[in-house]
Amino acid sequence: MRPVPYGSGSVTPNPLHTGLVVVGSGMAGMAAAIFAYNRGISFVQVGQASELGFSSGCLDLFSILPGRFPKKFADPFAGIDALKEKRPRHPYSRMTHPMIREAFAEFTGFMGSAGICFHGPEQNGQNTAKNQHIITPAGTLKPTWQVPAAMHGGSLAIARNQRICIVDVKGLKGFGARQMAQTLQPQLSRVSSATIAFPGRETAKDLMCERLAWDLENPEMLGRFITLLKPHADRADVLGLPAILGMYRFEKQRRTLEQALKKPVFEIPTLSPSVTGMRMKEAFLGKMADLGLRHFPVAVSGIVPDKNGFVFSVTQGLQTLEIRADNLVLATGRFLGKGLGVRDEQIKEMLFDLPVTQPETRSGWLCSDFFDPAGHPVNQAGIETDDGFRPLGSTGAVFHPRLYAAGSILAHQDWKREKSGSGIAIASAFKAVSHIAGK
Amino acid sequence: MFLNRGRFFSLQEDTKRGYVETQVLIIGGGTTGTGIARDLSLRGISCILMDKKDFNAGASGANHGLLHSGARYILKDSETAVECRQESLLLKRLAPQCMEDTGGLFVALPEDDDAYVARFPELCRTCGIVCQPVDAAQVLQMEPCLAPDVKAAFAVQDAVVDPFRLSLDNAADAQTNGARILRNTRVEGFISHKGRVQAARVRDTITNETFQIEALQFVNATGAWADKVAAMAGAHISMMYSKGSLLITQSRINTRVINRLRPAADADILVPGGTVSIIGTTSLEIDNLDDIRPTMDEVDTIIQQGAVMVPELATTRYIRAYAGVRPLVKNGSEKGRTISRNYTLKNHEAEGLHNFVTITGGKLTTYRLMAEKTADIVAQRLKNSSPCETAHLPLPASQKGEWTEPGRSPKAWAARPKDTLICECEMVSESMVDRIVDTLLAEGRAPTLEEVGRRSRIGKGPCQGTFCSFRLAAYLYRTGHLEKKQGVSQVKDFVNERWKGFMPLVRDRELMRLEMQEAFLCGLFHMEVDP
Repeated sequence: MRPVPYGSGSVTPNPLHTGLVVVGSGMAGMAAAIFAYNRGISFVQVGQASELGFSSGCLDLFSILPGRFPKKFADPFAGIDALKEKRPRHPYSRMTHPMIREAFAEFTGFMGSAGICFHGPEQNGQNTAKNQHIITPAGTLKPTWQVPAAMHGGSLAIARNQRICIVDVKGLKGFGARQMAQTLQPQLSRVSSATIAFPGRETAKDLMCERLAWDLENPEMLGRFITLLKPHADRADVLGLPAILGMYRFEKQRRTLEQALKKPVFEIPTLSPSVTGMRMKEAFLGKMADLGLRHFPVAVSGIVPDKNGFVFSVTQGLQTLEIRADNLVLATGRFLGKGLGVRDEQIKEMLFDLPVTQPETRSGWLCSDFFDPAGHPVNQAGIETDDGFRPLGSTGAVFHPRLYAAGSILAHQDWKREKSGSGIAIASAFKAVSHIAGK
Repeated sequence: MFLNRGRFFSLQEDTKRGYVETQVLIIGGGTTGTGIARDLSLRGISCILMDKKDFNAGASGANHGLLHSGARYILKDSETAVECRQESLLLKRLAPQCMEDTGGLFVALPEDDDAYVARFPELCRTCGIVCQPVDAAQVLQMEPCLAPDVKAAFAVQDAVVDPFRLSLDNAADAQTNGARILRNTRVEGFISHKGRVQAARVRDTITNETFQIEALQFVNATGAWADKVAAMAGAHISMMYSKGSLLITQSRINTRVINRLRPAADADILVPGGTVSIIGTTSLEIDNLDDIRPTMDEVDTIIQQGAVMVPELATTRYIRAYAGVRPLVKNGSEKGRTISRNYTLKNHEAEGLHNFVTITGGKLTTYRLMAEKTADIVAQRLKNSSPCETAHLPLPASQKGEWTEPGRSPKAWAARPKDTLICECEMVSESMVDRIVDTLLAEGRAPTLEEVGRRSRIGKGPCQGTFCSFRLAAYLYRTGHLEKKQGVSQVKDFVNERWKGFMPLVRDRELMRLEMQEAFLCGLFHMEVDP
């Protein structure tokens, strides 16, 4: 892998040539970058602030088949089979189970090397496995596939119905231990709750998770924190805390805590901004930098496709760099990521104006019940692709032979309802990049 | 426990026993119902005010908040016009905490009928309504948002009223004078004997418990539901329901109330209020009261029509749409806007019912008069000769209604910036929530998220409840006011109530907010699936 040199000063006369540009730095963009790196494809990644900061830190695969009578699947692969039948143009319908498994294994392997270890479900028998569960700040149990080590103790404790004590911190709004314990009671009868005051911030009224995570990187502070937790640890099998145990040394901090308290400790993701999501982003960006890979945290526009690839420029501060890429992975996300937008009441793809499958009129976008089990039709709007995740143009043929798409911009999926966001991102990026590597 | 004229009793204990007694049962907690409760209790009559949901959950909470000078009704309904004139002057004096005395304008555009414009001042004079001509150049200086081609304008004494505060203050004063309040209590039938209703069979919609309320007199002040409640007592009212939708702009566009100078039509009134403006309404005949919500079509019509008078309405952002139902009582074959906006007060004597009265229709502006006329019948039937006091006693400002006003919480918070904020958009703090919760507990019931929302600005800012509904739930759990799984269903109800008003506005950028909100509530919290 050759590190890409910076352009110096104004526009470089000879554009930088790279094998691939990944547009987008969310889950799909991150996955595409990892797969490209592992395959020795030279690449640059561009994309402004991503939504990773909102992520729970878990990797979902599949759990619910939405519909008037939604179906829940404990085994995500069984669910995907049912999904393929019902929605043949769903991104998962273009994947085989082994391909999805391989994509996850490769992704989590890389993240492990970056310091985030994922735990999959326990395998029982031949390739059947059930989703794990995490506790959410709403006190609900959310099914997911891969759980980071920091949260895994919780998933195990849920499966074993152990005595979990959820501890919240005075002044940390939107994270209520009593709320969670009360709501969980019918499912997990042995959950209890407790509240502590954060050392040195006892009278603070409005604490931010991020701030506390930085505080707990300090060993002295961690020691005082442990003293406060001790009485609660004594009356439980497992301790659940808001995700604030450090931003970088979170594995070490948690182990210190567990040794001192002699009980497993797990974290619960918090409302935005979520430390668990930030850790994933930080770990990925740190690893990219270590490997000398180029990431431009800026938005790009005006990408010009020609028959050999794509030409565009990125501007950072005073520097403008012109880049030519042989292939492009479009991982720009949906409306929040600005991959999709609206013009004259029509949903548009913002970078290449690719045709977007969508409800006929604006009045067909939404359900009158926010929580309608079928999901809002607008969520299934997106771009069409061939089996290799190459977007289709207005004629129905592939728009450009070297253009690929991955993640939530794809049509016929509703990741928020299916609990399939990470899975779609990772699997589609895997197939797209494998295709590029195979050329 | 409540102190009531020296006697202790607990409504909660009574409802648990399955049996409650009072002199008068008032059904319906809108402005009329709360007004009646205050009026009766000031005459020394004991009463219970019940609502199947909460104060102002119907039309009283879904209108323009306009205190009419009366000028809008001079052509079709001079009686209502005169009543509006009298009552608005009275209310400005007696309940100033609920009013913003903005003044109002009537403006004519080139396509509006010259003959009507010419008759307008004379019609106002006939009804005793103050009306000053303003020249076109001057009116544009007064309200720069107006279309530049205004051809005629008149200044009138319109004002703005906060209907939530009005009902809450009325209810609070009624309570001070001994009235009792039952929220979330639905009437399911009446027990009658020989032309007298003896008791109402009611259900607590939260606990699902049923009990009876025995009373000497019954008042049906249920607005659009008046025909259904009357029917349960064996009485008949023929009604029509007219849905009216309105839009709230993200910032305040006008200083005064602006009315279009033409016979009433769609989207011809722009009312300012606190930090926003409200444009409306539509008038759409409906048959079903189950799911009242504004539609995308109505929103488009309102924007298109409103922009003729105030061009900025075509481009401004909107925070929320909402809809209410005007209860119109049919007398003959009139339709829609031609039906009188005057109120209907029926004593049901002709139907052989001697202790049941229905009050419906009318205007927010005339609520006090409607309450007075109703209370007169009830008092006379109870042989109580105390006169009505509400036409001269000021309405005390209460703790119940103190946080409904937009812009008030930020000011209060700025004075105590250490107070933890639950709602960051509208700056509602924990101590403000505490005070609201206190008033709800004083009514003998635990608070719900929606009730705290209705009494404050929580959920009314740009996040529309995504974060604050959660923080509020967490806080109510922490303080012991929510138990078990109540929080999940209450957050869902809260979000869906906000969604009703947001969904028809979704056009482009709003999709981002929807995506974010759904990512949290469904993607992460998994709330759409009953766990």
